[in-house]
Amino acid sequence: MRRTGFLFDRRFLLHETGPYHPETPERLDAIYKGIEEGGLFDKLTVIQACRADDAWIESVHDKKYIDRFRDTCVAGRKVLDYPDNQMCGDTYDIAYLAVGGILKTIDKVMDGTLDNAFCAVRPPGHHAEIDTAMGFCYFNNVAIAARYLQQQWQIGRVGIVDFDVHHGNGTQHIFEKDASVFYYSIHQHPSFAYPGTGREFETGSGKGHGFTKNSPALPGHSDSDYQSLIEADLLPAFENFVPEMILLSTGFDAHEDDDMSDINLSTEWYSWMMEKMIELADKYSNGRLISVLEGGYCLERLPELARNHVTILLQD
Amino acid sequence: MFVSRSMSRKVVTIYKDATVVEAREKLDKHHIRHLPVVEKDDILIGIVTDRDVRSAMPSVHLQSGHLNGDGNVLADIKVKDFMTIAPAVVTLSDTIQDALLLLQEKRVGALPVVDKQGRVKGILSVRDLMRTFIQVLGIGEPGTLVGVVVEEKVGQLKKVVDAITEEEISFGSVLVAKHWDKNKRAVFAYLLTLNISAVKRKLAKLGYELIDPMDWAIEQPSNSD
Ligand SMILES: [Zn+2]
Repeated sequence: MRRTGFLFDRRFLLHETGPYHPETPERLDAIYKGIEEGGLFDKLTVIQACRADDAWIESVHDKKYIDRFRDTCVAGRKVLDYPDNQMCGDTYDIAYLAVGGILKTIDKVMDGTLDNAFCAVRPPGHHAEIDTAMGFCYFNNVAIAARYLQQQWQIGRVGIVDFDVHHGNGTQHIFEKDASVFYYSIHQHPSFAYPGTGREFETGSGKGHGFTKNSPALPGHSDSDYQSLIEADLLPAFENFVPEMILLSTGFDAHEDDDMSDINLSTEWYSWMMEKMIELADKYSNGRLISVLEGGYCLERLPELARNHVTILLQD
Repeated sequence: MFVSRSMSRKVVTIYKDATVVEAREKLDKHHIRHLPVVEKDDILIGIVTDRDVRSAMPSVHLQSGHLNGDGNVLADIKVKDFMTIAPAVVTLSDTIQDALLLLQEKRVGALPVVDKQGRVKGILSVRDLMRTFIQVLGIGEPGTLVGVVVEEKVGQLKKVVDAITEEEISFGSVLVAKHWDKNKRAVFAYLLTLNISAVKRKLAKLGYELIDPMDWAIEQPSNSD
């Protein structure tokens, strides 16, 4: 059995998005429930979140944006930048906690206390741009994690795999000129899904050219299409890049029962994907792997998806 | 949508007595493909394209071999010898739709924009139109495409727009297209949100058929090039 961390903090539930919003606290309840029902808590190391240092948030985001986020929150306004980004008075603090918890998890994996981890955080991060909140995201959790790995733990090459059904525009843009971070994303084709980026011809720019790879999938595509794309696009890309550490932007919203998209993945595909990711981690990063939650909105499916996710992280 | 809003205002022009070499230099220097040919007061009399210039030059090389002279012959070839006289134009008050149809009709890559006196005021290229249509479609902003089938009856489109607006969702664009069923229309709304499931559920509940995007094929023009 591997030593697997589970970042979970009840305070992540305090980020309220109002009625009619799919990114709800209940998502984390569902994930927690699934892991509990699987009897997995005894096997996991539960990690409590803590507030991130400003410096790490600022390693990705503009100071002016961070201040604007704070001021909007303190003033009691409910929306930042786009109507999608509904928030409450606690949102700013919770976003700091999510990042802080992920960085704490990185420390435990990098100092050898843990092999891998699943960070069940809210709010999600991959749509957040350097200076703009987008698509329910405020701070780009995974992007900050990548910078932290490089600056705090001297990791040279970080590979990010984003399998949320939406393209991680924020993460791509933050690293598009950076050859030390490879961003791979598989998602529903941008002509049919938010945010409208992530086309095959987006491959990075300047020194980062060739270090971004997108696999758009057409509506209706399912397990075998996704599996072929991972094998044809991601595996060779990492073979060339040779990541020293792998971060996952884990989104469960490509599931067939999740109505945020028209991609029809089964629960089994998610297990296949995680087994592949473990293989990659064993091959390139000494087994070290950190998965960070992005989307996934089907409350009926989240328990089993989270349970399988963690079960595979624990397996030898 | 008027041409004057989308055209490039900085137009590089040339005189009819300029040489082919000058024309090529201007095209290269400004990275452009079209040079409106003007007389005094910027009155438009013709246009030359990079293609015209290219095909004017090799014949000159051939000639120069025969004539045993070098640059002299190139200098003899003037813009007026190979320009297109009285090219297709649009005026400042023409619309983008006019320009689109004219570009297709004339099979050209750019249209000079002239005022009532025939003076060049701008140029509208396929590239300018692409930029305009990215704006029109709204796809420069983050959003999601939703397709809905509506009956061809008064007030149907309004109902769909109202239902979406009630959810406080902004529109990037709305396109209405022909449906294979003659009595129906396909409405494609580009909505500036990630929060799409609630609005889809609402439309389905109101009895609208959502279009499976993979079932949708826009009719191909039969005689395109
Ligand atoms: Zn998503």
